[in-house]
Amino acid sequence: MVHTFKCLDRFFALDVESGSVFEIDELTKEIIDFYPPLVPPKEAFSCYSEAEVREARAEVDELVGQGILFAPEPPHGKPHYNGIVKALCLNVSHNCSLRCEYCFADGGSYSTERRNMSFEVAKAAIDMLIQKSGTRRNLEVDFFGGEPLLNMDVVKKTVAYARGKEREHNKNFRFTITTNAYSLPDEDIDFFNREMYNVVLSIDGRKEVHNRVRKTATGEGSFDNVLSNALRFRAKRGDKQYYIRGTYTALNKDFATDVLFLNDAGFDQISMEPVVLPPEHRLAIGESDLSELTEQYEILAREYIERRKTDKWFNFFHFMIDISGGPCESKRLVGCGAGNEYLAVAPSGNIYPCHQFDGKPDYVIGNVMTGEFDETIPRKFASCNLTTKPECMKCWAKYYCSGGCAANSVNFCGDINVPYTITCALMKKRIECAVAIKAIEGKI
Amino acid sequence: MKHIKVVASSTICRDKGTGCGECQASCQSACKTSCTVGNQSCEQKKINNVFKESK
Repeated sequence: MVHTFKCLDRFFALDVESGSVFEIDELTKEIIDFYPPLVPPKEAFSCYSEAEVREARAEVDELVGQGILFAPEPPHGKPHYNGIVKALCLNVSHNCSLRCEYCFADGGSYSTERRNMSFEVAKAAIDMLIQKSGTRRNLEVDFFGGEPLLNMDVVKKTVAYARGKEREHNKNFRFTITTNAYSLPDEDIDFFNREMYNVVLSIDGRKEVHNRVRKTATGEGSFDNVLSNALRFRAKRGDKQYYIRGTYTALNKDFATDVLFLNDAGFDQISMEPVVLPPEHRLAIGESDLSELTEQYEILAREYIERRKTDKWFNFFHFMIDISGGPCESKRLVGCGAGNEYLAVAPSGNIYPCHQFDGKPDYVIGNVMTGEFDETIPRKFASCNLTTKPECMKCWAKYYCSGGCAANSVNFCGDINVPYTITCALMKKRIECAVAIKAIEGKI
Repeated sequence: MKHIKVVASSTICRDKGTGCGECQASCQSACKTSCTVGNQSCEQKKINNVFKESK
């Protein structure tokens, strides 16, 4: 399968099975689109000379002969469950200082009691991760919520506890944390800079955009506090990993402006994600918004290339696709590994397939305090990967998105094997832009 | 070639299901800013470096 497309006024071809990327001219795009068998309508190449068509076709044939264009799909192994866990999301607080209107976690509570995780639960979760990680050396723990900074004492104790186990068990913990940055004391920033592999701070962009949806429990906008704290964090972070992460909704479809606003504010690592909500929600993105939204990615890509030549250089997360290598086929087929390699633990100690399932009684796998661990759900999740999703297997973007988010599929399509198509459309446009940017920048 | 410029070729490592699993977890949802596997890197080289350092 070959996907040809036009982006940033240039033409490209992506060979799906080999991962090869080509910049092509318009004639070659047409030849590839009709290949094989080459039975185009008479008018298809009418504006080109016979010699030109023959020449371009010969080049296509050569690449096909090399196996890097129209590469055949190799057989894939069946998905299997091996019981290995390598990443945990610790929802250390089911409480939050904000009440963002689009929050999937019901203002941080996950529709349960607003409470923090105890150190005993966090410790048991780390023990479970070590015990279930087999020979995996790199283990990940993401402190999430709610707002994890409402339970920083447990975060710090948990990090110290896990670090104390590394040598004994030959493990390397990578800690990450996601915060709304509403309250961010210097001592916590210093702790992040010592211990956190990555820090994600949530800002949606322009003040009016952010304050419209990211409000405190008393209904006040959080922007001024958040921006000031995030800039203080940025100044102290140096060259360590962090991201400013925003969410765009149906109310700011001009989200490229928000990305550039964040860059102008002083940030150089930025992500902006589409909101995922039921269609009846006032902030939800619908099919009718897709044309405008995909255009925004192209607008952003043009400005992105220009700014990266200046002192306003920045990374936009979705334009950072690695087209020269990236993960192996196994990873591309499995994706996030939710429900088996990756699990979430709630303050109660309940174990869920991922943070998005927290609070859903049907998805409780067990509890870290009781030691209960029912493999039924992990086996079900492990049995679903890219190869079990018929629609995804026909899609050119399959090895870049791995079939999308299981929680979104369950929540919005009612089936873990059915992709949520709005995300699909945006994902495809982002990949096209990412490929075009890589080709134009020439840094592969 | 006059009509085609190869930007990258044969980049997907076909490991026949033997992936080491040491790479970073990639959240497919929008909430953790790691929602594509395409921007992840193979950890194999990094792992080798860690082992060398520990020795």
